[in-house]
Amino acid sequence: MSAAAAATITAPEFRAAGTDLSERRRSGVSRGPIVDLAATPDTIGITWAADGAARIGALTSIAAIASDARIAQAYPGIAAAAQGLATPQIRQLATLGGNLAQRSRCWYFRNPQIGCLKKGGTDCPARTGNHLYHVAFDLGPCVAPHPSTMAMALLAYDARITTDRRSGLSITDLLGDGSNGTADNLLGSGERIQRIELAAPLAGERALYKRAISRTHAEWPLVEVCVRAVISGGTFEQVDIAAGGIAPVPLRLAACEAALKGKPTDAETVARAAELATSGAKPLPMTGYKLDLLKGLVRDVVERLAG
Amino acid sequence: MSTMTINGRVEALPDDPDALLIDVVRDQLRLTGTKLVCGAGVCGACTVLVDGAPVASCLMPAQAAAGKSVTSVEGIGAASLHAVQKAFMAHDALQCGFCTPGFIVEAAAFCDRWRATKGTAVPSREEIGAALSGHLCRCGAYDGIFRAVADACAGRFDGNDVAAPRIEARDKVTGAAKYTVDIRHDGQLEGVILRSREAHARITALDLAPARALSGVAAVALLADDRVVRYVGEPIAAVAAKDRKSALAALAAINVTYERLPAVIGLDAGRKDDAPVVFDKASRKRAGNVSEAGGGPAPWKQNVRGPTAAFSQRAGKVRSWVNEARQAGSPLLVEATFRTGTQQHTCLEPHAAVARFVGDRLTVHASSQWVFHLKEQIAKRFKLDHDKVRVIADHVGGGFGSKSSMGVETIAAIELARAAKAPVRVAYDRHEELSVAGYRPAAEVKVALLPSEQGSLKALSVTAHADTGAAINSTIAGLARLIYPAEAKALSDFDVISNLPPGSAFRGPGGPPMAFAVEQAVDEAARRLKVDPIALRKRWDPDPNRQRLYDWAAGLDVWRNRKAGQSGRYRRGVGVATGYWLYLWQPKVKVEVAVRGGRIIASTATQDIGTGTRSVIADAVAREFDLEPHEIEVRIGDSSLPEGPGSGGSRVTASVLPPTLLAIRKLKAAILDQATRKPAPGSNAPWRELIARSADIAVTETRGEDGKNTAPGVRSPLRDAGFIGIIFGWMMRRFSNIVVGAGVPSSVQVIEVEVDTWLGHVRVLNVHTGLAVGKVAAPALAHSQACGSVIQGLGYALYEARELDPISGDVLTAGMEDYRIPGISDTPEINVHFDEAGFDHVLGNSVGIGEVATVPTSPAVANAIHDAIGVRLTEIPIRPDRIIAALKGRTAA
Repeated sequence: MSAAAAATITAPEFRAAGTDLSERRRSGVSRGPIVDLAATPDTIGITWAADGAARIGALTSIAAIASDARIAQAYPGIAAAAQGLATPQIRQLATLGGNLAQRSRCWYFRNPQIGCLKKGGTDCPARTGNHLYHVAFDLGPCVAPHPSTMAMALLAYDARITTDRRSGLSITDLLGDGSNGTADNLLGSGERIQRIELAAPLAGERALYKRAISRTHAEWPLVEVCVRAVISGGTFEQVDIAAGGIAPVPLRLAACEAALKGKPTDAETVARAAELATSGAKPLPMTGYKLDLLKGLVRDVVERLAG
Repeated sequence: MSTMTINGRVEALPDDPDALLIDVVRDQLRLTGTKLVCGAGVCGACTVLVDGAPVASCLMPAQAAAGKSVTSVEGIGAASLHAVQKAFMAHDALQCGFCTPGFIVEAAAFCDRWRATKGTAVPSREEIGAALSGHLCRCGAYDGIFRAVADACAGRFDGNDVAAPRIEARDKVTGAAKYTVDIRHDGQLEGVILRSREAHARITALDLAPARALSGVAAVALLADDRVVRYVGEPIAAVAAKDRKSALAALAAINVTYERLPAVIGLDAGRKDDAPVVFDKASRKRAGNVSEAGGGPAPWKQNVRGPTAAFSQRAGKVRSWVNEARQAGSPLLVEATFRTGTQQHTCLEPHAAVARFVGDRLTVHASSQWVFHLKEQIAKRFKLDHDKVRVIADHVGGGFGSKSSMGVETIAAIELARAAKAPVRVAYDRHEELSVAGYRPAAEVKVALLPSEQGSLKALSVTAHADTGAAINSTIAGLARLIYPAEAKALSDFDVISNLPPGSAFRGPGGPPMAFAVEQAVDEAARRLKVDPIALRKRWDPDPNRQRLYDWAAGLDVWRNRKAGQSGRYRRGVGVATGYWLYLWQPKVKVEVAVRGGRIIASTATQDIGTGTRSVIADAVAREFDLEPHEIEVRIGDSSLPEGPGSGGSRVTASVLPPTLLAIRKLKAAILDQATRKPAPGSNAPWRELIARSADIAVTETRGEDGKNTAPGVRSPLRDAGFIGIIFGWMMRRFSNIVVGAGVPSSVQVIEVEVDTWLGHVRVLNVHTGLAVGKVAAPALAHSQACGSVIQGLGYALYEARELDPISGDVLTAGMEDYRIPGISDTPEINVHFDEAGFDHVLGNSVGIGEVATVPTSPAVANAIHDAIGVRLTEIPIRPDRIIAALKGRTAA
């Protein structure tokens, strides 16, 4: 088998809008059959339950989520994440389900000439090679950060996912814990995401999303954070913090959350809690800087949320 | 069969699930205004409207457009120009124009949405930046784009009148302008190139037969006469087939057997004593060239070629003085090692050529910076008569130095066209463009700078090692000879060759890395001498052009009001830096100015790569005849015209304007001479009347020598470099057909930044760029070039770096999401100041701007960051990881 064949995905792949797949078809990383996903009333659009809970069809476009006034009010972290990813021309096409199920952006994975774990290879070339933009929480054999910004935001909201086979899946059920380096998600062969369910928002909850990048817009995050909180009488009653760009899967920052819950919203408390964002981190030789960015970003976002 | 409606017409969509919308638009419908650049949804050049909303057509499956209404750039303002198109034209919001259709489509949709809800309110820079965040422009036309979109939204372009300073602007905003990649002859085949998978190997077997056997394959050609490949991506063979898909399938069918040889990757590995040798003595002539001109001989040991130290001056003295100062612990001695990144040209139009034989005549459309020279190179290589080869480049989508000579795309297209007996197009994909199409080599630059006790510049030592890959001839340190005279200078340049693609000339080759190092050292010296950094440069740098620019810079409010010693999360700082480039012109350049059919036509075999050459010529001719520029026909981009200059070395304006002006003088005399009726007394358009009635007359003039009488202090910088300078000048003229003229094009920049110390992010707040390039020939276009140079310099300083696999040498940043060029929202306020004196000895008084204007940007940014955070960033690009590391006093990855 030639090296190029080893670096190619030949299994059938689902296509929603194709914003990820088309590039891999052009480069030759994906060569198998395509199965187009057709929208049905159950898989597209946003519906609201009487208690204020939202259901988002998997084929709903990112732009539709980003511009939905009720989503922005009920789940501002989801709206902000949708507004902040990719570019306007991609958000217009790309779907929520496709965003969750997109493949790695690792520059080794994307190169059709280089084999890797996710293309049937036996090792991760980024680990021993150039991993400048890779994980700082080394949780598994593949060191590429998970690419889904929406998964990270949905993790902060404890969203549930329904597929054509299963329901009630958490983001962790969908994506795993990072220990499986061969896949970007744990969907079975031929299993497709149908919709995403969000619980009704808590009274008075607020949220912010931000990514750290080198330019101003349109760049994959070095680190990204979504923070959701209920603040009452100068105290954090509830805090949920999710972070992306740092691990093979989006992470909840439990130590930070614990350090803030029930505590006053002053800058000193926030700064101390932000230092705990890196609990459990295991940076690679080139990714130590992401831990500083993570602490800075958590501090920035929580401070603004409390302000 | 499904259909879509495009620009009002119903068109069939292909059944192929892999067909993308852009394939239908460009290849099936021949609507070539829509451009394919990144192929990954990053750059926006392919943007079309689908049911009114902008989308990336390079990613959208064609089948997904079924039943939808699509609008390409050709459908925007088809009846009459959209306000956004008029605003882009009027504000010169474009240069090479390759990204322009995508910007137009997006901006028109934004403007329509805005007007519908906000009337004629003016959108902010932030709002415009966010709306256009999915578009990239490599020329850096963002400053004009901001103004154009704001004014179109505000209703200032709702009328019919539009004046464009760039004469081809209408073709570029409507998508009508044809670039090489858009050329499509009947029966044209698509060519692709087989490239090495190995960094260093001997090809032991190469079987092309399986490729030839495939259906749709018309020709297979060998490209290499050498069986050794020296970098991943080195061309081996080429295939032409009926379409790209078939051609790629044929490439995959070729069997190559490699015997792997030990490889060495990059600057640090390449100079180790035990590193595998890339070029043995016999193969050294195969190395590429990273400079604009040829180089002299130099020692060459294993992978290290150098030192080239001809521009040193009392180098022994430098070493002993610096050693003494070091041993004495002199606080004035500044020593530091700087590192710059590998910068890719990232032309949005890829390297491309379309070759077509008709009988024994060959026509090549090429994305070229030098059509005349390319014709000569083709004739020589393929043993054809010069008058049987014609090279055409109507529009060129960026070059920046990477398209100056005959490339593999051209060779492959011609070989394949000859073998297939059919026209063949070869256009690089983005991976090729960002890996094997050339780059500005990374460099390590060591500086020792010693002021005297009295505060003059005593000694300067610069040692540069350039990461040139499979190429040679870097000059970085040597450029430090022509600025800041000192009692002694030790300047040594080394090429470090390794198994990487060859570097090439890139906008001011060697200038930006030299300035990044030396300008920071001068800044540091100012700090230690407790002298204002502009005042110190004024003291150390006697060049009359820069003396005036220093006075301008010192008077800027941003400089006078800067605050020292900032603390807190966000810290602001202001930095200054100086740059220069040589004033170059090309001998033997000819321009024909003619009256034909009552119309003025100016012709020369140069090309416009976005720099505005057409307009410079049109403006000059129009001015002399009291006409409007659009009344002048300018013929360029065709090697069959009189010999014209290459678009490199900032030499076009200074090469073309003098013969144009001479020809106009003679033409005027000839027109008057044959005129039977003189214009009516008091006519306000005497020349228009004379020209309209004139018989056909043509005058061709050749670029002559400049005047000898120059202003005080204005002379060739090479004369300051003594005997070696004279030799160097003679060699440039003899072997590279370039003359180094008197006077030094110069730039001084003052830049203010804000550093976010939590997230390591640098925001450039404002840039003040002062330029001395003589009289500005076409003011709006010169302004565009000045801004674009700054923006490219900001990319070099803050974002851009090629990243590699350290073992295999694979380029990992071979897509535009990983190779990061500046976007519109990264563009600060840019204040451009032209000082128009200094070049009175040049006929027309104008010299080029393209290179000098980008030289000082990276050190000015670094000096501003030092001013803000008190730490000197010695390595670019200054990414968040490096800011974080600098603040913590540790080494970045």
